[in-house]
Amino acid sequence: MTNGINAVADGVRVPLDLSDAPGRTPLVRLIELEEASNPVKRIYQDIQAFYQTTCVPNVFKVLAHDEGYLHDYWAAVRFVFTDRRLDRLTKEAVALAASMAARSDYGVDLHMREVRRLGLTEKGVMEVIEVVQLFSCYTKIADGLQLEPDFTRLLEAATSGARVTPQR
Amino acid sequence: METVRLLEEHEFPTEQQKYFEATKAWFNIDYLPKMSKVLSYQPEMSHTHGRCSRRAMVDGVLQRRQKEMIAVAVSAINACGY
Repeated sequence: MTNGINAVADGVRVPLDLSDAPGRTPLVRLIELEEASNPVKRIYQDIQAFYQTTCVPNVFKVLAHDEGYLHDYWAAVRFVFTDRRLDRLTKEAVALAASMAARSDYGVDLHMREVRRLGLTEKGVMEVIEVVQLFSCYTKIADGLQLEPDFTRLLEAATSGARVTPQR
Repeated sequence: METVRLLEEHEFPTEQQKYFEATKAWFNIDYLPKMSKVLSYQPEMSHTHGRCSRRAMVDGVLQRRQKEMIAVAVSAINACGY
């Protein structure tokens, strides 16, 4: 979900919502709240309420060119990021990490704002940064050396509920 | 197939063993993961890097399970099966 939003936002150079980013002139016109149709306005209002902000994240102003698509896509985003087994802060932290790993300026800007708004301290932000850095390193080493997974049996046990002794 | 030969545990210097045991305890497994073997080829690097790793992954503001989920997301974005 996050990767999809980021792909659109960075792909068509959507201006960042919170940080200055010179040169990000959108390749698709953004549909602002004042000019939006009533159905789109209602979606925008829902987005504003969800993010507790007066501004609508610019990426949705691109999707608003297709009202039906925006409606369904926003419903999916909202569902994914709503508290369920995982709380919203955890999901936003994961989305921030995914955005950093994907080098998405838009995603980092959006999700950094969200984790802070949801109460993650600067120490917590630093913890996300550390995990991203570590695993960006580990994944490159693993790929470079073509390491074959050796946690597979543990994963199978975890997902099946079975208890197994890991083997070499 | 790995592009480097992965040493067996007994091929590493004896002084490495206590770090290996700590790694197994951390993951609750009875073998040394390949990544740990690779990183252990240069003890001067692996000890400091290992401390960074432990420091980053222990419960803090975020819990370890949350950090592991973040690690999964990074691995997925980087399309890393390992």
